[in-house]
Amino acid sequence: MPHIPHLVSLLVALPLAGALVVALTPRAAETLAKRVGLGVSFATFLASLQLVSGFKDVAGYQFEERLAWIPSWGISYHVGVDGLSLWLVILTTFLTPLCLLGSWSQIHSRVREFVLFMLLLEAGMIGVFVALDLFLFYVFWEAMLIPMYFLIGIWGHERRIYAAVKFFLYTFAGSVLMLVAFLVLYRASGAWTFDIPALVVSPVAPALQTWLFLGCAVAFAIKVPMFPFHTWLPDAHVEAPTAGSVILAGVLLKMGGYGFLRLAIPLFPDAAQRLAPLVAVLAVVGIVYGALVSLVQPDLKKLVAYSSVSHLGFVMLGIAALSTIGVTGAVYQMLNHGISTGALFFLVGMLYDRRHTRLISEFGGLRQAMPWYFALFLLISLSSIAVPGTNGFVGEFLILLGAWGFSPRLVAFASLGVILAAAYVLWMVKRVFYGELKNPKNQGLPDLSPREVAVLLPLVALAILMGVLSPLFTRRIEPAADALVRQVHQHTLKAPAVAPGSTPAGEASR
Amino acid sequence: MNQLLDLRPVVPAAIVALTGVVVLLAQAFTPRGERAPSVALSLAGLLGALVSVLLLASGPARGAVLAGALAADGLALFLQAVILVVAMLSVLLSPGYLQSSGIERGEHYALLLFSVVGMLGLVSSLELVSMFVALEIMSVALYGLAGFDRTRPESQESALKYFVTGSFASAFLLYGIALVYGVTGSTSLERVTRALGVAGPDALPLAVLGTALLLVGFGFKVASVPFHMWTPDVYEGAPTTVTAFMSAGVKAAAFGALLRVFDAGLVSLAGHWQPLVAALAIVTMLVGNFAALAQTSLKRLLAYSSIAHAGYLMSALVAPPALAVEAILFYLVAYAAVNLGAFGAIAALARDGREPLSAADLAGLSERRPLLAAALSVFLVSLTGIPVTAGFVGKFYLFGAAVAGGWVALALVGVLTSVVSAYYYLRIVVAMYMEAPLGEDRFGRVPPAAALALTLSVMTTLAFGIWPAPVLSLARFAGRSLL
Repeated sequence: MPHIPHLVSLLVALPLAGALVVALTPRAAETLAKRVGLGVSFATFLASLQLVSGFKDVAGYQFEERLAWIPSWGISYHVGVDGLSLWLVILTTFLTPLCLLGSWSQIHSRVREFVLFMLLLEAGMIGVFVALDLFLFYVFWEAMLIPMYFLIGIWGHERRIYAAVKFFLYTFAGSVLMLVAFLVLYRASGAWTFDIPALVVSPVAPALQTWLFLGCAVAFAIKVPMFPFHTWLPDAHVEAPTAGSVILAGVLLKMGGYGFLRLAIPLFPDAAQRLAPLVAVLAVVGIVYGALVSLVQPDLKKLVAYSSVSHLGFVMLGIAALSTIGVTGAVYQMLNHGISTGALFFLVGMLYDRRHTRLISEFGGLRQAMPWYFALFLLISLSSIAVPGTNGFVGEFLILLGAWGFSPRLVAFASLGVILAAAYVLWMVKRVFYGELKNPKNQGLPDLSPREVAVLLPLVALAILMGVLSPLFTRRIEPAADALVRQVHQHTLKAPAVAPGSTPAGEASR
Repeated sequence: MNQLLDLRPVVPAAIVALTGVVVLLAQAFTPRGERAPSVALSLAGLLGALVSVLLLASGPARGAVLAGALAADGLALFLQAVILVVAMLSVLLSPGYLQSSGIERGEHYALLLFSVVGMLGLVSSLELVSMFVALEIMSVALYGLAGFDRTRPESQESALKYFVTGSFASAFLLYGIALVYGVTGSTSLERVTRALGVAGPDALPLAVLGTALLLVGFGFKVASVPFHMWTPDVYEGAPTTVTAFMSAGVKAAAFGALLRVFDAGLVSLAGHWQPLVAALAIVTMLVGNFAALAQTSLKRLLAYSSIAHAGYLMSALVAPPALAVEAILFYLVAYAAVNLGAFGAIAALARDGREPLSAADLAGLSERRPLLAAALSVFLVSLTGIPVTAGFVGKFYLFGAAVAGGWVALALVGVLTSVVSAYYYLRIVVAMYMEAPLGEDRFGRVPPAAALALTLSVMTTLAFGIWPAPVLSLARFAGRSLL
């Protein structure tokens, strides 16, 4: 099949070019800006599908491109995708047009700037997932902060400035430690390069690895966010506009987990193994803590935000297990979370647009007023609590299976999170949708508009598709996950916790 | 010795000096009520000097001339080009601002040109006494510029304070030069290096003391803590365009001289001065950034930020010389563009002697002056050190150099204080983009010349942030002349 040349660069360049075009549109032509944004992001999505069709199910980087950038320091523009990043790129290109469509009539002020920042954000996010050079990775990682900061700070809710600044400072504080770790690694490795594949080949001394791993881990743990680095998340999620929350939960949080998989673990394999128990314990604490806090949230958006802490705990547990199944499950769960939590934020946002409140106690009996809304909400809720047949089930199952060889006790505690998730989600659904439609303000609320259905339907369809046909996705993830796990275990005499091999992903979903 | 009478390395400074005199004369011969062509003359002179620098750079390398006092080597030419561009942008920023303050007189441009002469000399001196003379030429002109708005008490205070502390610093510098001369019997950096290489242990205390005094003197000029006390008052009181010029130009010139003295002349004492410089750098980064947090005045905030940036720059001095020079030279370019831009953006809003004083004055600027707000945001993001700006690449290199020198702690303090700085820089962005405008629009339209200067600064900031390789290789090449 013929493929577009420089496909990966094109995926970064398209939104950038779109942003430039949007910047040049006249101020008053708001619809034009929105159309350009939607068109460009949709074109980017279509282009990104070429990645999937041309992808071979093997380990190693594909669609690689390389160009000298700052030769004297061994810095190059080196991009490519492998099984770990492929679907995350698709997730990004998939969610961005939905966000633009979802906020079509929600954003009233400075529409042009909104579209501009969304496109810049998309370019930055794709860049993070495809960068194969530490310097390039860091550039995208940081540059992406700026549009997100503006999205929260300009179009957010009441406490938006506080949330924007907090978000920025937290993530920036984490990233700069990572930068110092990169610089030390550059000096210590003796390879005189920032090229990730080249650095992975020759790890530095184990004692130094611990420090460098910690430096990077703080950056990624804040982004994930892992307990106890999660305190920025509820503020940012709640205050951000709907599109911001969706991108934040859907893609930005994934960068933490991805950072562990792409950088922290392969670059510092000995430290990763040594510190895996710590990461796993924090992950499980996050699972249970996030779930417990979600249980008591009076605010819908806060509830979804805290549930992210719990869900991402699963992802981190799968990563910390360092087994093929666990890592595959973690990547898969990142996609699931992007879809189900993204959809939940859309749904909460649509409710907020109608009622200008997110307090659960304000609602009740909405099932009668908005039957379609209820149906889609319920489906996504089921995916969020990992009911078999939905995507969430496959991901959590793989993670727990993969972590079993690592520590059955932790898996037992993590399973508690599965039960708690059912509790807080179903209880919330009960309070919002069931019962009598008492509140007069809720009577006569309009059901979903065609535009809203167009936003939600792809997400719901994908949640079910990924639950039923998971091998379609996991077979592309697995070789890369396996290669990572082998590489890490090579460096120690210990045998792998779980023998790398085929995952029972197919069985799990059938 | 056949180069003894080769005067070509002096040509750029001579052109600028001559232009200064012509500007003064033109002002004197312009009838009352008419405006002298000071801006055009200054720009032409600076451009001529820049061309001569480029010609010198394209020709063969020139060694020491005028009895070994001056050279047109890589370091000198690189920084001279930077200084001349800074001066040109400052000249472009000036007329609108000076008009709004009612102080548009030719002397302003003449003084600016004279201080450029000092700066050009400072970065090309190979000899401590010439260096001192050049420093004084630069400083005296700057004292005048700081007090140029003589009806405003703040401006007077600024000039006086700068003069007193500046003289104080000069005294330290002189004493340091005297001690180094006492130990080595020469003020020529080349001979100092040679003499220190063979000096016995009994000469060491005196040499180290001399080095420390030199460091104090330069510490004043680059606004390093604890010799920074003058900076906020002087930066705040001086006319804003002068502050822009001072903050960008003096830093480039003073760090150029600092590099030459410490990384070439006193390099054999590196084991002694490096810990000292590292300590100063840490204190400077901490004090500069934390003090800036507490500022409400924009100009004071930027003054403390400029102190903090002196700290970042110093943290690269502990690296092996080749890396230190490359990193510092690149950062000086990035910093000059950004700082000129930041002060320039504030100055560009001036109308009827009124300019934005605090972040609150900038509330809602993104709606009233979208382009200016965007430009100022780029500068602030670059000062914070975030990609894709030159400020990020610059910090990457500074801290990379510190790590290469084995000072990971310096890099850690640097990046963590950068996080602190993000808070106060972002506060300005918050005001411009996330707060509603207060009251009526009291500020002026951006003058076209200033708009040009700001555009060039933004383009430099972004271009060198995305494609820094050419400047870096020039900087590395320039650094070779030292080693």
